[in-house]
Amino acid sequence: MLSTYLPALLMLVVATVFAVGIFTLTSVLGTKHMTPEKAIPYESGSESDGANQIRLSVKFYLTAILFVVFDIEAVFLYPWASIFRQLGWFGLVEMFAFIGSLAITLLYAWKKGALEWEK
Amino acid sequence: MQIELGHYLSLSAIVFGIGAVGFLVRRNVLVQLMSIELMLNSVNLMLVAFNRYMPDNHAGQLFAFFVIAIAAAEAAVGLAIVISMFRLRKTVHSDRADTLRH
Amino acid sequence: MTASLTGSMASWVPLMPLLLVAIGGFALLVVDALSDEHAELATLSSVVLFCAGALAAVLATGKGLVPPPSGVAPYLAVGQMSQFWNATICCGAGLSALLAGGYLHEHALERGEFYALIVFSAFGAMVLAAATDLLSIFIGLETMSLGVYSMVAYRRGSPRAAEGGLKYFLLGSFAAAVLLFGSALIYGATGHTDLAGIGQSVRDGHANLRLLILGMLMLLSGLTFKVSAVPFHMWTPDAYEGAVTPATTFMSVVVKTAAFAVLLRVILTCFSDELSASLRTGWPGMLAPMAAATMILGNFAAARQANVKRMLAYSSIAHAGYILVGVVTLYSGDEQVRQTAVSGVMFYLLAYTVSNVLAFGSLIALGSYAKEAVSYEDLAGAGRRHPLAALPFVLGVLSLMGFPPTAGFLGKWYVFSAAIASGNDLLWLVIVGVLSSVVGAYYYLRVIVYLFMKSPEPGAAIAVPMRSGYVVLALVLSGYFVLKMGVTPAPYIDLALSAASKLG
Repeated sequence: MLSTYLPALLMLVVATVFAVGIFTLTSVLGTKHMTPEKAIPYESGSESDGANQIRLSVKFYLTAILFVVFDIEAVFLYPWASIFRQLGWFGLVEMFAFIGSLAITLLYAWKKGALEWEK
Repeated sequence: MQIELGHYLSLSAIVFGIGAVGFLVRRNVLVQLMSIELMLNSVNLMLVAFNRYMPDNHAGQLFAFFVIAIAAAEAAVGLAIVISMFRLRKTVHSDRADTLRH
Repeated sequence: MTASLTGSMASWVPLMPLLLVAIGGFALLVVDALSDEHAELATLSSVVLFCAGALAAVLATGKGLVPPPSGVAPYLAVGQMSQFWNATICCGAGLSALLAGGYLHEHALERGEFYALIVFSAFGAMVLAAATDLLSIFIGLETMSLGVYSMVAYRRGSPRAAEGGLKYFLLGSFAAAVLLFGSALIYGATGHTDLAGIGQSVRDGHANLRLLILGMLMLLSGLTFKVSAVPFHMWTPDAYEGAVTPATTFMSVVVKTAAFAVLLRVILTCFSDELSASLRTGWPGMLAPMAAATMILGNFAAARQANVKRMLAYSSIAHAGYILVGVVTLYSGDEQVRQTAVSGVMFYLLAYTVSNVLAFGSLIALGSYAKEAVSYEDLAGAGRRHPLAALPFVLGVLSLMGFPPTAGFLGKWYVFSAAIASGNDLLWLVIVGVLSSVVGAYYYLRVIVYLFMKSPEPGAAIAVPMRSGYVVLALVLSGYFVLKMGVTPAPYIDLALSAASKLG
């Protein structure tokens, strides 16, 4: 019943009260010295440069989408790997056919220049 | 409170509904693509939930795997078409893709 | 385990058309990637498709047909019916590849990927037409559709192509998501993803009825989107017009064939019990009004078009309506009537494939580089100047119109007579069909009038026919079949009937 979740709910309430409380306390008690250095966005110590909405080259897209399309095929490798002994030789041959078809598409992408960064 | 099949189904239906409404209401193609992803993922949730309560085989989970893979392929093709339209029309709004009406 | 999964060598024979197309697709990729100058990819792709189609046509007669390996059997049916669909799909795809060979070269659009897309899409269509599991339906549908979306957006410099492709892609993915949600609901309602198991559970009354009905409606909506039935037809004219004409041809024949094939299979295997096939409460209650609306809207909208490609798009919507009449006829409890209806739909789709290739092919043949024929005005007088190029057009539109003795006439005849044989309940649908095809006659005949009786406006650009062996071959092949199926339909309809009785 709902009581199972009571500790979690309590935890949530305590965490919220604590976090909000600390922030309120610091903003009420602490002193504020605004300097130009403090006003710039924090980027792990390096100086920020340029607008934040720059347009990226479409080359990033092509590389990313190739990665996603090939990467997602790993989804079929895991179930296969977990039972490949039961599948025997046929499973092995089938996986080679699968990888082979991926290899052909990779070859195609390569030869068509999709993997070249500078063109 | 026990989480039961009905809860999963309700969640899945809500997510699917958000996706469907988002697709129909928004006119930014990228948001529409995201809405479609939302719809596909709500189906995955439902498939896996059904499979959890009908564990005689793994049909539902198997199905979800294929949905994931196909969704990625679909996104790739979709984004390629969006880019090719953006290059020609400089817009990602599906409402402004109206050359064919004239 | 090994033996049961692979089976004997002979058991792979019924899968050969599918495997041939898949291997052919990869071969195309390799050839395209490794050869520098333009290899004859059009020849290669059409040879692969025609070989697969011929093999499927032989297998469709039942000769040498053995059960497939047991690992394949739950997901794909490879009996006579599937082979008939394979043959129709490969025929349509092969002819489209031939048309592409002429068109892309003439309009300086030749890039290798188009042929690979045709072959892989045809593969998806074959999987879809043979699918006996919700999973293989989804995979086949997406394999086919993703290729077609890309084909529509193929012409990179054209905003129209990008827009048509985008619209088709967005609405198509939406429909696929709806179909998928429906599939998941059906799985939840019955506990099965294989169509036979679903059908069993529906007949036994074990299924959760609310989930099942919702799932069925969503599944059928997704499929009727692909055949572009009203109200899911909005994408059709834009996608057809934006696409390069060989891609339009492919969409209109292959996608429609595969979608109707799976629609028939889903209805016959899962939803043929009395409750869901009832004219009042089941799917026929949804599909019958859709069929009527599709026929009416398709024909009236086609009559208003000034662009011939758009006219043919609406005409393809109208044809989807006629075929839907055949699908609705499956509500009948009479086995005889159902088989007649199924074979009628099969014959219709084969006839529609060759007739439509003929019409689109002639449209391609009548234009040349920078002078593509798209509007009626472009056709004005072309028949008198170039009778040989216009003749196939006449044959094509006559067959689409349903004029005897062409294949299109018999297709309509078989479908409508099955509907009449099912009883008086569908009489109104047949009347709507016949009346709306009268409207159809207007816009089809208009093509002939423009070809032979009009003269171009003074100063207007005059379309000049292109010269291409590929296009000529496609026109000769499809013209031959339009006449042959019209004059001696017996072998084709017998084949369809024998396949329809097996449902494999």
